[in-house]
Amino acid sequence: MKRRVFFEMSLARRFLAENRAQSFLIIMGIAIGVAVMVFLSALIDGLQADLIQKTVGRSPHIVISNAENAAADAASDVNGNRTLLLDATQKTLRPIVDWRNVATALRADERIETVLPVVDGSGLIRRGQVSRAILLRGFDLEQANRIYDINNSIIAGNRSAPDGAVLIGKSLAEDLGIGAGDPIQLELPGRDPLIIMVDGVFDLGVAAINQRWLVMDQRRVAALLGTGDRISTFELQVYSVLDAELLAREWAARLPDLKVESWQESNASLLSALSSQSSSSYTIQFFVLLAVTLGVASVLAISAVQKSKEIGILKAIGIRTSSVSRVFMFQGLVLGSLGTLVGIGLGLAMSQAFVVFAQQSYNLLLKPVTTAVIITTTILAATLSAYLPARKVSRINPIEVIRNG
Amino acid sequence: MDNGLIQITDLVKDYGEGEARTRVLKGINLDFECGEFTALIGASGSGKSTLLNLIGALDRATAGKVVIDGTDLSDLNDDELALFRNRTLGFIFQFHFLLPQFTVLENVLIPYLIYAGQVTPAMEKRAMELLDRVGLSHRRDNRANAISGGEQQRVAVARALINQPRIILADEPTGNLDTANTENVFNLLREMNGQYCTSMIMVTHDRELAQRGDRVVEISDGLVISDVLKDSSSEG
Repeated sequence: MKRRVFFEMSLARRFLAENRAQSFLIIMGIAIGVAVMVFLSALIDGLQADLIQKTVGRSPHIVISNAENAAADAASDVNGNRTLLLDATQKTLRPIVDWRNVATALRADERIETVLPVVDGSGLIRRGQVSRAILLRGFDLEQANRIYDINNSIIAGNRSAPDGAVLIGKSLAEDLGIGAGDPIQLELPGRDPLIIMVDGVFDLGVAAINQRWLVMDQRRVAALLGTGDRISTFELQVYSVLDAELLAREWAARLPDLKVESWQESNASLLSALSSQSSSSYTIQFFVLLAVTLGVASVLAISAVQKSKEIGILKAIGIRTSSVSRVFMFQGLVLGSLGTLVGIGLGLAMSQAFVVFAQQSYNLLLKPVTTAVIITTTILAATLSAYLPARKVSRINPIEVIRNG
Repeated sequence: MDNGLIQITDLVKDYGEGEARTRVLKGINLDFECGEFTALIGASGSGKSTLLNLIGALDRATAGKVVIDGTDLSDLNDDELALFRNRTLGFIFQFHFLLPQFTVLENVLIPYLIYAGQVTPAMEKRAMELLDRVGLSHRRDNRANAISGGEQQRVAVARALINQPRIILADEPTGNLDTANTENVFNLLREMNGQYCTSMIMVTHDRELAQRGDRVVEISDGLVISDVLKDSSSEG
């Protein structure tokens, strides 16, 4: 590399240092812009991570059910804005017969955290004059804890519910006025009513679950329903939540007879809301960046006029046009870098202040990638914004300067 | 033409376009030799500064040729002209034109810095010698705008010499100075001319000052109207 660059950088530094106030103001301008970008990104990313966590935290990421049932179900559904677990409660699905082989295959997939085979059935429970429609859910409680965390949600009865325990939702228990240890009458279609004892009450924090679920062991439900060795659905939890859709598509291809649905598909409207939120955030950031760029360009344009005499004289004594351009590009680079540095700090401080003072239920999330993108684009934009002033100033005719003093 | 350093042939320069076009130089033929101290005189608008700018590779001729040390300036592109100005020519302007962002010593070194980027100890020593020569070594660390006009012009002389140019071009170098400083700077130029064997071309409208050179060329209305070589000072 040409060593001329050292002199070009030294010129850039002296020019910036000469107009200290001007340089300081534009650095602060860039810093505020960057701080807004950092804060906004952290806010939006934090909010979205929280929303996604709330949506999928205590529900399966992927549900596998019988294709025919699913098709009928989808056709009957009109509101389009349901969650997977609500969906699964709508009706008794046709059973998956070959479920053991499928389960083995699913468990072999390292990306899948939990595979929960479920036997579902619908019915009524009755206590005295009051009756309620319920969804009878049969699954292995230990496995199910990984998705629903039922053990930690038990509000009445034994916390470590034993195998074969009968658990009901909180609202259901309140409606019927029952608690742990009380008997209820269970009525299933085509079966004689029978009395069972409630071992515990859970609160999963989701109204639809608390109102409708009656949870038992998988085998016991299968026996009650008479479905034999079959299950209704698989509920899956995956390690990488955002990759659930991709994984679902992959498994849909491997299991052509079954319907594989990810949380993204059943939450299309939530995702579209998140995506519009991101778009508006990007739009704001774009205009902030544009303002930063225009600020740097105008400051350097003024500086170019102020320094035209110096540039003229330097050109007379032999500086190249390209060197002059670089002097101004370096100024943009220095302003951009310093402004970005201060701005990142300011943005982090703003985020910290927000966490302390606004006390939202969610945390801000500043991703390293986002930070890197903000740093790179701002420095790049500041440097490139120097281009026009640099081009203009590099074309100063030294004769004009010499003649006019 | 063994000693010929600069050959100017049928040099024409027009300014403006179309009807506003004016011919400032109308066919100049001049040769300059090594080590000559030439004064270029003429009235305002005679074309002497235009001629100096063309010799100084700051402007391009409309027609004709300027050949310096075997190089035809019209063969060079803008970057090559810049390099040529930097390596072969030294400039002293009427307005001193130091860079106020730099110290006196740094200003002397700027022509070298433009070319080399960084200062070597040898170059710094040379710059100090030149500053000493113009009597300003005690000002080395002052900002260039913190010294007097006469001092600034002497720094400009030192700057013009830093790259050991073949030719120094001076456009009214004393035009902005009082009598004492004019004398001071002129004597300095004359000494440098002798000591470093540098050819000097000085534009001035001070006829008395002009008479103290080796040669006086007078320009009028774009043409050379007299060219007087004085015998007395040709032998040094």
